[in-house]
Amino acid sequence: MVSNEGNDIVREIERMAPAQEAQSRPFLLRIDRWWLLFVGVVIITSLLIIKEPDPYRRIFVFLQDGIRVTLSITVVSFLLILLAGLIGGLGRVAKNPIINGIASIYVEIVRGIPLLVQLLFIYYASPVLLRDLGLRLSSIWPTLSAKLISVKLNPFGAAVVGLTVCYGAYMSEIFRAGIESIPKGQMEAARSLGMNYFQAMRYVILPQAVRVILPPVGNEFVALLKDSSLVSVVAVADMTRRGREFMAFTFIPLETWMMVALLYLVMTLFFARVVAYMERKTSFVR
Amino acid sequence: MSANIIEIEHVSKRFGRVVALDDVSLTVKQGEVVVIIGPSGSGKSTLLRCINHLESADSGRIVVDGIPLTEAKNIDKVRAEVGIVFQLFNLFPHLTALENITLAQRIVRKKPQEEAERIAHQLLAKVGIPEKANAYPAQLSGGQQQRVAIARALAMQPKIMLFDEPTSALDPEMIKEVLDVMLDLAKEGMTMVVVSHEMGFVKAAARRIFFMCDGHIIEETTPEGLLTGCKEERTRQFLSKILI
Repeated sequence: MVSNEGNDIVREIERMAPAQEAQSRPFLLRIDRWWLLFVGVVIITSLLIIKEPDPYRRIFVFLQDGIRVTLSITVVSFLLILLAGLIGGLGRVAKNPIINGIASIYVEIVRGIPLLVQLLFIYYASPVLLRDLGLRLSSIWPTLSAKLISVKLNPFGAAVVGLTVCYGAYMSEIFRAGIESIPKGQMEAARSLGMNYFQAMRYVILPQAVRVILPPVGNEFVALLKDSSLVSVVAVADMTRRGREFMAFTFIPLETWMMVALLYLVMTLFFARVVAYMERKTSFVR
Repeated sequence: MSANIIEIEHVSKRFGRVVALDDVSLTVKQGEVVVIIGPSGSGKSTLLRCINHLESADSGRIVVDGIPLTEAKNIDKVRAEVGIVFQLFNLFPHLTALENITLAQRIVRKKPQEEAERIAHQLLAKVGIPEKANAYPAQLSGGQQQRVAIARALAMQPKIMLFDEPTSALDPEMIKEVLDVMLDLAKEGMTMVVVSHEMGFVKAAARRIFFMCDGHIIEETTPEGLLTGCKEERTRQFLSKILI
């Protein structure tokens, strides 16, 4: 124990050193410089909206409910994507060949089809598929058949399902990689203490894996925010669709798409900074 | 008192084409300290890991505390009775020393938080690092980490403790602090199966010593027997290398 005291002090100093260094630097250099880019873009966008009522403020006012739809579709889908990724990732690392097979086929098929095609399929093709199925079932199971034939997809719901199915597959791979990055000895130690597989996952493996996958998961969120513009093809009035509507009756494409692009940029730059901040907060020494 | 707590009968295990264990039989009585030595790749760790079913034997029978492992309905219950200490500690790096020790008590033994923490503090004092309760593994030295790992295993109140080369990854000056804890355990009458080449520990605590080579136990001896000479040429060769 005596011999360790020196080591402890050295460790303590090493741990404190970066913090002290940061403290002595001037404030502007200490903050993450990418915040400045974000602030710059926010200022430009605000100036355009405030100083130029025509057409920029008009465009912004018209886009407002689109912003709300874009944000809510992104957040709702992302929560479901996290759940799908967790289940898919656990399936991908499962030893049971049936579970593993189902998860692997899901990931491989979905990753091979463009998101735009998946959205079109779910919104336009799946109701036809359900109706055909309903017609075939009419003699065997009339109640279910009637429900299937009369099914009407809500655009928002269809968009959420499409984004979740597609991004869930990519997220499954991120979860799988995160779980597999944790050394085998961790699972062995947990199982040796009498924990079952799920307890070991819940309390030992996943808490560590989450820290590993936080950066890619955050990137997925930002990518999803941008890809949510694709839902405009399935009748969801998101920011992109509102932009197209505005352009259709004003014919000022330059200003319209400039505003739309700036608003996407404000959102993505902001969330990218939030992700970077969370990464720093939750990193820990192994 | 002297009932067999571990019975290993004709156990074989292969990894692909490599034979790790070939028809190994071994019994350990309650309260006994048994040491397994042998060159690397001889199957020592595999044998140890079979006892808590981290590896499952291809054939043969292993009975731990009266429960045959292959027929055990709940392997987790058997494992909770058998503590294991690994070469590389395998502490949970996202938890403090205290949380490492309380986690399994709470979720496997269903102990309330306060009781689990009381036991954890007692055990940290027992292994000589009561002041490190709130330290994370990365802030501890190797010897301290290994002692937390021993405390974590003891918190389950196991009937058997397995040690898989517990000091091989440690700096020489930290080996003693871990061996002292193991010696104390041996004196308290814990049943221990130890894979180690620490001859100081072997002489002080071992009742029986098994020498393994190429998946077989080729010789059984005692600490005195090590000094007076071994029957097998292969054992003598090995000992001459590690006893210098």
